[in-house]
Amino acid sequence: MSTPAIATDALTKTYGTRSVVRDFTFRVNPGEVYALVGPNGAGKTTVIRLVAGLAFPTSGQVRILGKDPHQHPAVRRELGAVVEAPAAFYPYLTGRANLRLHADLAGGVEPGRIDEVLRLMELDDAADRKVGVYSLGMRQRLGVAAAVLTRPQVLILDEPASGMDPLSLHLVHSVLRQAAEDGTAVLLSTHHLDEVVAYCTRVAILEEGALIDEVNLFDRRERFRARVTDLAAGVRALEAQPEAVTHATIRGTELVFIPRSADDLGRVSTILAEAGVGVLEMNRDVFDLRAYYRERVSAERARRTGQLTATQDGRATGTGHGGAA
Amino acid sequence: MIPTLLRMELAKLWRLTSVRFGLALLLVFPWLWAYAPGIFEVYGFFLVSGFQVPALSLLSSMQFLLPLLVAITAAELLGTEMAHGTLPTILLRPVTRPNWLAAKLIVVALYPFLMLLLFLLASLAAGVPFGFGAFFGGTGLGEAGLLGQGMLTSGQALAEIARGYALAALALVPIGMLSLLFTVVFMNAAGGALATLATLIFMQLLVVFPSLEPFLLTTQLNAYATPASEVLWVMALIALYGALFSALAVVLFERKDF
Repeated sequence: MSTPAIATDALTKTYGTRSVVRDFTFRVNPGEVYALVGPNGAGKTTVIRLVAGLAFPTSGQVRILGKDPHQHPAVRRELGAVVEAPAAFYPYLTGRANLRLHADLAGGVEPGRIDEVLRLMELDDAADRKVGVYSLGMRQRLGVAAAVLTRPQVLILDEPASGMDPLSLHLVHSVLRQAAEDGTAVLLSTHHLDEVVAYCTRVAILEEGALIDEVNLFDRRERFRARVTDLAAGVRALEAQPEAVTHATIRGTELVFIPRSADDLGRVSTILAEAGVGVLEMNRDVFDLRAYYRERVSAERARRTGQLTATQDGRATGTGHGGAA
Repeated sequence: MIPTLLRMELAKLWRLTSVRFGLALLLVFPWLWAYAPGIFEVYGFFLVSGFQVPALSLLSSMQFLLPLLVAITAAELLGTEMAHGTLPTILLRPVTRPNWLAAKLIVVALYPFLMLLLFLLASLAAGVPFGFGAFFGGTGLGEAGLLGQGMLTSGQALAEIARGYALAALALVPIGMLSLLFTVVFMNAAGGALATLATLIFMQLLVVFPSLEPFLLTTQLNAYATPASEVLWVMALIALYGALFSALAVVLFERKDF
């Protein structure tokens, strides 16, 4: 198995007595877009800063391409990141000069690369203006330009959509999607669940610094459901064709499956028909991340509140016993 | 990497508000002081040579103005990185934290020398009307003070002034380091500069303990008048302060969360 581009083990960060990140373990593989979502104060930014090597974990480990970024600063040559919103640059320098500075600090980039990323982020017209006069969205785009400047293997972005108009947002998403297709591992935090659903591979839902769920969006996006005449026979038939279907299971009264590609969707009907299974209805299994997110966060809060109440009850009982004793 | 960082920091230094304001003030200051009508009432002497203007400039600014300018500039050099949010951005590049801070420490150490060179040139320019020939008296920066021990040639006067200014600049270096250290602690420019000034004021009060006085950082601000026999000791003490503050700043910066 190849080394994950980003890996954490039981990552924990505590300030005083308050844990802002608790035992968070996750992996991001090359070519994946991994999103951190959660309410304000859930610990997303802290995770980003811990992974980027800007903050030190209280316990646990972070590995970028298999190396601890604190002990091996050279690994940051393979890291592109935007950790401030809006992205931070020297306001008295032009966009181009800021990128030149980043290139120098990274050990240099190939000739023409700065112009290339400026064009990519549609900043070529503003390249020779001072960053101090850039709009919020332009700064964010320059941030992404700086992040992809060295063609890094790992991209880390905290709220990349912050302050962006829909066109800029689309541009940034397409750049990140392309980077992932080229093999870059992308880790981002966001409140925009639509962008998560649009192109992220997996999403981690954080609440009070802890991972409460990790959803494989790739599977969810490509999932179909069918009402069939014989559920068990349908699953058996699809499981026997792994070159066409990667996953098949029964959910309630429906057969749920993931075709290997869009072309294989047509083959599913044939496979089922050949197995003597009639298809009554077939639909894409639309995954509502917003609803799922609300449900998971609410459930987690209810669980914690219940625990807290139980603890308080226990404490009250204990005090009572102590008093009696 | 260090040359790139140094180039970057030097370019930033010139853009700092405190540097531009400070240097402009130091260009004007000697002219005001050299021709101030109340100079006799305050210091009890008349200027007889242009070589005495640099001493007058230094004597009147070394206890407060120059340490203030150095402290503010050092604090601003790091504090603006926090204000602009550029510090985390730069640290994401393959730059080690000690290297990055070392570049700032080097620039902070160079700054008093650059500042006092300009101050000296401005003071000499302000002294032009008094002439630069040989004269009876002292420059104010030699062992015999402003009164002197007889005739002083232009060369001797210039050597005394250069030595005094070099020692004064050296004495200001640990103040810049201290300010950088406090800025690392408080993570903002105002906190760093104010803590430095408070420390200097506190140290000045410690003269009530005579045994401590020779070792105080504030005592070293008079290094420009140090007799030749004690120069090495004073320089060693200043270097020790500078090394201590720098090392502490690097150690704290290494473990800081951003």
